[in-house]
Amino acid sequence: MTTPVLRIENLSKRYGSRAVLTGASFSVNKGDLKILIGPSGAGKSTLLQCINFLVQPDEGRIWLDGEEVRPGHRRALCTYRQKVGMIFQDFNLFDHLNALENVRIGLVRVKGIARDEAGERAVRELTRVGLRDHLQKYPAQLSGGQKQRVSIARALAMDPKVMLLDEPTSALDPELIGEVHSVIREMGQGGMTMIMATHQIGFARSLASEIIFMEDGRIVEQGAPDRIFCHAENARTREFCSKITELYGETR
Amino acid sequence: MEEWLYISTEVYPALLKGFWVSLALIVPSALFGIAIGIVLGVLRVYGSRPVMAAADGFVALFRGIPLVVQLFVWYFGLPYLKIYLNPFTAAVLGFSLCGGAYHSEYIRGALLSIKRGQMLAAQSLGFSTTRMIVSIVLPQALRRALPGCGNELIYLIKYSSLAYMITCVELTGQGKILASNSFRYTEIFLIIGACYLVMTSAAGVLLGRLEGRLRLPGFEQYRG
Amino acid sequence: MPESLNAVIDALPYLLAGSAVTLIVVVGAMCLGLCLGVPLAVGQLYGQPAIRRAIGVYVWFFRGIPLLVLLFLFYFGLCTALDINLSAFTVAIIVLGLISSAYQSQIFRGAILSLPEGQLKAARALGMSDRRAIASIILPQALRLSVPGWSNEYSIILKDSAVAYALGVPEIMARAHFVATRTYQQLPLYLAAGVIFLVLTYLGTKGLRVLEEKVRIPGYSPQGG
Repeated sequence: MTTPVLRIENLSKRYGSRAVLTGASFSVNKGDLKILIGPSGAGKSTLLQCINFLVQPDEGRIWLDGEEVRPGHRRALCTYRQKVGMIFQDFNLFDHLNALENVRIGLVRVKGIARDEAGERAVRELTRVGLRDHLQKYPAQLSGGQKQRVSIARALAMDPKVMLLDEPTSALDPELIGEVHSVIREMGQGGMTMIMATHQIGFARSLASEIIFMEDGRIVEQGAPDRIFCHAENARTREFCSKITELYGETR
Repeated sequence: MEEWLYISTEVYPALLKGFWVSLALIVPSALFGIAIGIVLGVLRVYGSRPVMAAADGFVALFRGIPLVVQLFVWYFGLPYLKIYLNPFTAAVLGFSLCGGAYHSEYIRGALLSIKRGQMLAAQSLGFSTTRMIVSIVLPQALRRALPGCGNELIYLIKYSSLAYMITCVELTGQGKILASNSFRYTEIFLIIGACYLVMTSAAGVLLGRLEGRLRLPGFEQYRG
Repeated sequence: MPESLNAVIDALPYLLAGSAVTLIVVVGAMCLGLCLGVPLAVGQLYGQPAIRRAIGVYVWFFRGIPLLVLLFLFYFGLCTALDINLSAFTVAIIVLGLISSAYQSQIFRGAILSLPEGQLKAARALGMSDRRAIASIILPQALRLSVPGWSNEYSIILKDSAVAYALGVPEIMARAHFVATRTYQQLPLYLAAGVIFLVLTYLGTKGLRVLEEKVRIPGYSPQGG
């Protein structure tokens, strides 16, 4: 059996007396696309942010490529985060940098790559997400879909082993969702390991290698998409799936 | 022992005297300043065109010229026109006019932030323009202007020390005299500094409390 | 009236030489205030509790005491007590700079706080250390947002610099007073000094507006977007 790319065990987080994440455990193999579904407030976003310690989990352990992450060690944490790409719901592009600079800054400032070389790499990544013609534009001059594609290019340029996507299309107008989805689909075909939270059930079902259903900060059920959507064991999962299928139309 | 004697017989009485002079400068200057600020602010928003321009010019002038220069004009300059003011009067005049110009900025901004519907409603009830400004607009605008004007009052406390430069012996002046006589500049000016810190901090607390008391539920204080 | 006009014209070169002194004091103080204000703001926001408290006291101290008192304290008091030989000119720059650092730190603090939280998160997610993220992502944005605040700060320091006259720094006000007491043309000379300050305020704020335009991020408005 191969070592999973990422393994998390018993990840928990509480704010005061409110538990937002309780005992989340799973592992992701190379090339997997795990999709987190569940109602708003289920803890999907917290789980993703805990995985790269943007939110400090109260307990739990994480292994990347079989090596345990030591979040207390600052240098080690920064190295770990380079290997884990993060895509935010609201893009979080650096507002003072244009598209090219947004992708380049991590290469220059974090990886210490020479500016020219980093620039070339940034152009390649932006070309890959279809933004060759928008290199010099600032975030405020880009559409939501373009911003999200820049942020994907920014994460990809760091050569991550795994990508975390936190509802990457939920801040987008419906007509812009497609362009981001196609970039994500290409990433998946290229063999990228991904964990993504989304409400786009059709997209999830067509692409996911596994679905994780969360509610109230707990992982309720995980399994292959067809099993979760058609033969879920847990009543809550079935209820959620039928409700969301009703809301968003056909699942396929 | 000697130290204590010096402090209790020389420093304390002199500073107390100076403190009262400072207070006598600050309180009327603050009141006149706010009054001037309200009048100017209203004129700059609701005045006729020439009045507006005149008020704007007045404010630009008094905000653009250093307070020290203004004080010198009132005290050392006016005798040139055969007008003689004593240092205290010249200082209060200078602080009030300059402060008024600054207050008017905040009041003007606050007046402009009042929603048009408020005035339409007042007019539809038959309010005259003056009545409307006094009973509807100003009570809202002054609340919004309070943080800015409060800051200006704290500045006034500090700038009141400049009265010393036109020979009005207030707290700083008393300190300068004490220090020059005893050569204890560091100690004396640290004590003076502490007095001002107490005054500015107390003013800050009082203004914060006033803001809290005047706060209306849901009325955004810091907008506009 | 021609007599007073003559007095002003005669004194003009002398007064303008004073405005050079004034400008050096102002620019020096603003630079000192900037160099101290940035680390103060960063420390107050991201530092340990003890550092935050210390910076809070520093800001409270320099914002709560009149300039004149601080000038006297530093020039007549501390310089003598510690046996440091500094000119009135240098002390004026230092004191104005220290006061300005307290105010500027609050300008930067406000600017940093107005940035969306996601900026820091995204930088961390790329693997940047906090120090790196602050230097490369937070400060470049915050400094841009601070330019209007500087414009205000410039006009305040410019006017406050006239108080340095109390130490005998040969700036505009000191020179105007010097000529006035010799020619007995007080009012015209003080008004001339006032006009020079007005012009300097105008030119400075204009220059800073050009800077603001130059560093503006296309399409970006600080209110959001």
